[in-house]
Amino acid sequence: MITFEDVTLTYPGASEPTLREVSFTVEEGDLAVVVGRTGTGKSTLLGAINGLVPHFTGGTLAGDVRVAGRSTAHNRPRDLADVVGWVGQDPRAGFVTDTVEEEIAYGMEQLGLRPAAMRKRVEETLDLMGIAALRRRPLADLSGGQQQRVAIAAVLAAQPRVLVLDEPTSALDPTAAQDVLSALTSLVHEVGLTVVLAEHRLERVLHQADTLLWLPQDTHGVVVGPPSRLLLTCDVRPPLAQLARALHWDAVPASVRDARRRVQREHLRVTAPAVVPLSTAPARVSVRDLTISYGSLTAVNRLSLDLRPGEVTALMGRNGAGKSSLLWALQGGLPSTGSVSVDGRDPRTLSAPQARRLVSLVPQTATDLLYLPTVAAELAQADRETGSQPGTAAEILSSLGSRLPPQADPRDLSEGQRLSLVLALQLCAEPGVILLDEPTRGLDYAMKDHLSRTVSRLAHEGHVVVVSTHDVEFAAASQRTLVMADGDVIADGPTREVLTSSPAFAPQTTKVFSPTAVLVPDEVRGAR
Amino acid sequence: MSLATRSSSTTRTISAGTSAPRTQARTALLLVVAAAAGLAAFTWPLVWTPGSAVSPLQAPLIFALVLPLILAVVVSDLTGHGMDVKGLAMLGVLAAVGAILRPLGTGTAGMEPVFFLLILGGRAFGPSFGFAQGAITLFASSLLTAGVGPWLPYQMIAAGFVGLGAGLLPRARGGCEIALLACWGFVSAFAYGWLMDFAFWPFGLGTSTQFSFDPAAGPWRNLHVFVLYNMVTSMGWNLGRALTSVVLIVLLGPGLLHILRRAARRAAFAN
Amino acid sequence: MTPVHPWAWWAWALGLAAALSMTTNPLQIVLIVLAVCAVVLLRRSDAPWARSLRIYAVLAAFIIAMRLFFFIVMGSGGGTTVLFTLPQIELPSWAAGIRLGGPVSAEGLVFTLYDAGRLAAMLLCLGAANALANPKRALRSVPAALYEASVAVVIALSVAPQLVESVQRVRRARRLRGGAARGWNAVTAVVIPVLADAIDRSLSLAAGMEARGFGRTRDQRPPSPALTGGLLAAMLAATLGAFLLLGSASPPLGGALLVLGVAGTVWGLRVGGRRLSVTRYRPDPWTARDSLLAASGCAAAATMALVGTGEWPTLYAAFHPATSPLTWPTLHPLMLVVAGLAVAPLALTRAPLPATTHPGHLGEAAA
Repeated sequence: MITFEDVTLTYPGASEPTLREVSFTVEEGDLAVVVGRTGTGKSTLLGAINGLVPHFTGGTLAGDVRVAGRSTAHNRPRDLADVVGWVGQDPRAGFVTDTVEEEIAYGMEQLGLRPAAMRKRVEETLDLMGIAALRRRPLADLSGGQQQRVAIAAVLAAQPRVLVLDEPTSALDPTAAQDVLSALTSLVHEVGLTVVLAEHRLERVLHQADTLLWLPQDTHGVVVGPPSRLLLTCDVRPPLAQLARALHWDAVPASVRDARRRVQREHLRVTAPAVVPLSTAPARVSVRDLTISYGSLTAVNRLSLDLRPGEVTALMGRNGAGKSSLLWALQGGLPSTGSVSVDGRDPRTLSAPQARRLVSLVPQTATDLLYLPTVAAELAQADRETGSQPGTAAEILSSLGSRLPPQADPRDLSEGQRLSLVLALQLCAEPGVILLDEPTRGLDYAMKDHLSRTVSRLAHEGHVVVVSTHDVEFAAASQRTLVMADGDVIADGPTREVLTSSPAFAPQTTKVFSPTAVLVPDEVRGAR
Repeated sequence: MSLATRSSSTTRTISAGTSAPRTQARTALLLVVAAAAGLAAFTWPLVWTPGSAVSPLQAPLIFALVLPLILAVVVSDLTGHGMDVKGLAMLGVLAAVGAILRPLGTGTAGMEPVFFLLILGGRAFGPSFGFAQGAITLFASSLLTAGVGPWLPYQMIAAGFVGLGAGLLPRARGGCEIALLACWGFVSAFAYGWLMDFAFWPFGLGTSTQFSFDPAAGPWRNLHVFVLYNMVTSMGWNLGRALTSVVLIVLLGPGLLHILRRAARRAAFAN
Repeated sequence: MTPVHPWAWWAWALGLAAALSMTTNPLQIVLIVLAVCAVVLLRRSDAPWARSLRIYAVLAAFIIAMRLFFFIVMGSGGGTTVLFTLPQIELPSWAAGIRLGGPVSAEGLVFTLYDAGRLAAMLLCLGAANALANPKRALRSVPAALYEASVAVVIALSVAPQLVESVQRVRRARRLRGGAARGWNAVTAVVIPVLADAIDRSLSLAAGMEARGFGRTRDQRPPSPALTGGLLAAMLAATLGAFLLLGSASPPLGGALLVLGVAGTVWGLRVGGRRLSVTRYRPDPWTARDSLLAASGCAAAATMALVGTGEWPTLYAAFHPATSPLTWPTLHPLMLVVAGLAVAPLALTRAPLPATTHPGHLGEAAA
């Protein structure tokens, strides 16, 4: 269905090609997953399938890309619209109209279909994606998962044979992501569509994937193979792959079920490390009866909480459970009632520069804090803002293990680099309390590891660290976990206790060895 | 024109192969005719003579019929032939920004936070884009605020030329460029205010006051009275608009030009 | 019942505005205003733009007040019935010898009131069209030549609310870097991230549009020189025609040129539009009812134009009551006919059903 033959792609001004002599074939009806570290050219590979690369993005492409027998050399992306459907990361950024039905019809209008044919296809597509009930709703009112489903429906209406999705779940919370991915697998299984997608959190799609396209770092090539073999060697390691490596298995299990069976078959015995009790140090942050309301909606409901230095606290819960509101209120940036005391002071009564020295928050969209044209300018501005010695912010940045080109535009950096930059800017004020709101979005496994080491180090240095996250694997590295639902804290305790007690918040390793309370693959290394 | 960037040192017009000389000549011709029509529409009180078939009340309405057609031809040419999908999306997004900024100014004396964006857009992407941006921004903003009226075609064409002018300014770099754009911001804000007020002077004030348009008095006398009338009633607004433009260009110009040119680099690659 | 075509509302409203521009009889003006207000109040939907009549009413009131103020303070004199006299100041000659204050006559005041009232009423007609016509549906039925431009406007309208959200988010984030959310410095820190975000968004939007086939059916060849030439000639003819019409040098020639130019431009746009063959999902049909609606407005304008020719002096006088000497305006039966045409939409259309809005999203009717 999709054939790459000796494809070499070079962007203008680049010293070396992004893809070099890439050849592979994706069979009809396959679900192929593109994996690779950030910056290895996943988007380039996906864009090359329908010709967006190089027709739209520029660059020179040598070799031949064929989809359903049509070469992208002679067909522009728009000419391939009825063969390849392409869906980007953020569905909202791709909407042209503002209601569901019109958005779905938009592509067909461009193809010049007759109105009667369009009506029929819109109905079919609405049913196919299970969004018929949303048809007249404004797109802005839909949840993230619904929006992405509409975006997929909008390209499906042209009845393509291949669907290409560039990290379709990176902007979604786990429930919405699951929603979208199950819709996709049903398209593969019931409609026979060929699907190629890039996905950071591989554990979500691994059990459905037929083929893995791995882009190794530095070689600019593509390695193709079945997930169970390829994941043993590649540099992208979902939890089950780490587990397989820790146990020296010869194949990566596709799902928790497969892994469990193998563990049982091999009579593996593991012992859970002891639960580390929570710190008893005096609390630096003390919250009593905190209530946050937006009009008639109560986001956080009479919450009381103590946070102690030396611990990383993971804050978990659904979207809308009140996690962000809690973090913003701790920083003092959101009106709230009840008492908040950080080192004896209330951040709500302090001016912004003072509050920042007490509590620092890295918001969900970290780029909101960046407004200068270069990394160096941002760092210098941070020094000025906080009255630090010139060079302090740059020093903090390098101590975070990040070396960024000073003249680079912050917006050209990868998600992980940008996060380091913003964290460095925020740490420049030497706050005692550091809050991170959903920092793991869009990070690959290696970057998440790095972040996890960074926050542990900050905690060891005596900071209070709170990280809100949807990612249980990331939360597993923390010492304390809080789970919020509907404005209340419904679970609070040592991470091992909280994460192993319910399947909903259990990491994959825990699920595999349940009821033994292990959290991460490292804990079962060499078990027999 | 696709998103063509004009960097300070070299003119880099990277385009989708549509900027053939003939296309550019056609666009230029259309813009010249539009300029002529616009000038006629704005300065009609100078040529109106008593006993004409149309009253001063109806004259702006006649032009409110002719101008949309001319705008339609020009904008259709600019967007349909000269612009690729990246330019169109950029146009839409910048128009959205303008449409949001515009209502922020109403209520504050003379604040007009749209012009600086037209000027920077026209500067970064060239004169044709600037014209389209001006016209489309004002149109979208009037749809959002339900402010469609006979003044709309006048505003569209005037704003179009504000953006176009910024694209035609001579090349400069760094501080010089910002100073140049700020000057244009000042001048264009006054020109816009005067032309708009002049075209709607007899329409808005009627003919029964001493500050009114008097067809029998001849162009010079009328201009004299208009200048006085305008000084008294609109000086504050025009000055406010001009100063807003200058301040915003000085403040945001360097950063915004950087962002827009970065987008132009990312959007307009070799074809 | 299909909703009224947005352009039909515009035709009706513009027709009435044109009719108003040809009378000064306050009775006629009041009748039309009442009719327009009745139609808007009974036929508008609960969409956001439907509330725009109020803005226009405020603007209309402002125009009347401004004209009265200017007339009283620096009226041009004339008229014998002096109502009151203000203290008088002569401005120096460089100020065109304008005299402030002085006697204020009833004739002048009434003339100013009539003229201002007529302009205010025309503004209300525009407000009515803004309130009744759905702008997004109007955009969907623009001529094909303007398709790309309409796409840009559609993008602008759908991106605008997202930008407002983005501004709020970034403003809130300012605190985190210790910055005050006020003053000129805050402008940079808010505007730059929002715009950078918006521009990145435009690129992904463009990629999505391209991948979905945007521009696929467009004929890429440059338009023929004949078409360009024709369009240029038509545009020039229209401009010149309007010019001649105003300058009264030759009204018939001016009128003819204007009509020719307008027709030529419309023709050129139609031909230009054939180069693209996109189709419309659920196109808005133009029904007989829409034609009647548009015709009611145009008929009102045509009636007034006939009166305006001056063929029937008594009729003309009824529609233009004298202000010097002052006379009471009289009601002519024809005025009732015109008012009847103005309220015709009430008979032709039905009140819109309340939009099926979703909880938490009132007033944002799906377009």
